[in-house]
Amino acid sequence: MKKCIACAMPMNTPQDFAMADISKDYCAHCARPDGSMQSYDEKLESMTGFIIKTQGFDLKAARETAKTVMSRLPAWIGR
Amino acid sequence: MPALTRSGRKDATRLRIIKTAQAQFVKDGIIKAKTSDIASAAGLAHGTIFVHFPTREILLVEAVKDFGRKITERIHELEAMAGNTREILEAHISGLSLFESFYTRLVTEGPLLPAQARQELLMIQSAVSYHLNGAVQRDIAAGRLKRVPIHLVFNTWIGLIHYYLVNRDMFSGGGPVLERYRDELLDFFMGLISR
Repeated sequence: MKKCIACAMPMNTPQDFAMADISKDYCAHCARPDGSMQSYDEKLESMTGFIIKTQGFDLKAARETAKTVMSRLPAWIGR
Repeated sequence: MPALTRSGRKDATRLRIIKTAQAQFVKDGIIKAKTSDIASAAGLAHGTIFVHFPTREILLVEAVKDFGRKITERIHELEAMAGNTREILEAHISGLSLFESFYTRLVTEGPLLPAQARQELLMIQSAVSYHLNGAVQRDIAAGRLKRVPIHLVFNTWIGLIHYYLVNRDMFSGGGPVLERYRDELLDFFMGLISR
């Protein structure tokens, strides 16, 4: 199973991949409408929002958690 | 078996220290466990620990991270095979049950741990909430679940199972608690959120 390099989402079906292209290393949620990968700041904002929605954290804690998750992912190592 | 190279031996010793530290954390607690006890349980001189991990905190963080990676991978594997909300929660219990003793320590001591170690617990929770979110949204859309806020589904479920884990001496004499109460907890929780 391939995991998105930018958010760690497991990609099991072609629809999970950016532009349904299984040669891509990032998922549909990490792609911009033109198929390119979102920037670090764009991803940080969307992941922060996702954590607030799914776990109910305060904005600051959600952003710190998103930074931690992203710091372990191949696309953002060293950020 | 071929002889290990010097760097292979170093890696093997490092891994042995991490595994022994994890066992010692379960036995004595993550905060209370002593490096001297970890060294003697691993059959190493006390100073050898610090060759591999310059401080106790670095060892603690690495041991917790190693555990976090394993449990997160297992949860991803189990939950990828699950479809609806109940199956996701069943997979969550199955994944945690494999690592129940260490996970319970992590939950109990989480707020007192160094930030990097505590973040491992948040990483595990993020993996679970990701899968639960997808299933709950599908089940709400299909009319199987009430229109409940997703974060409260997650937090209520986590609160329930963590209460049993933290008090497992009361619920199961200190032995495994999740498998014992699996069906009762699942039936009750699904009853709360189902239409």
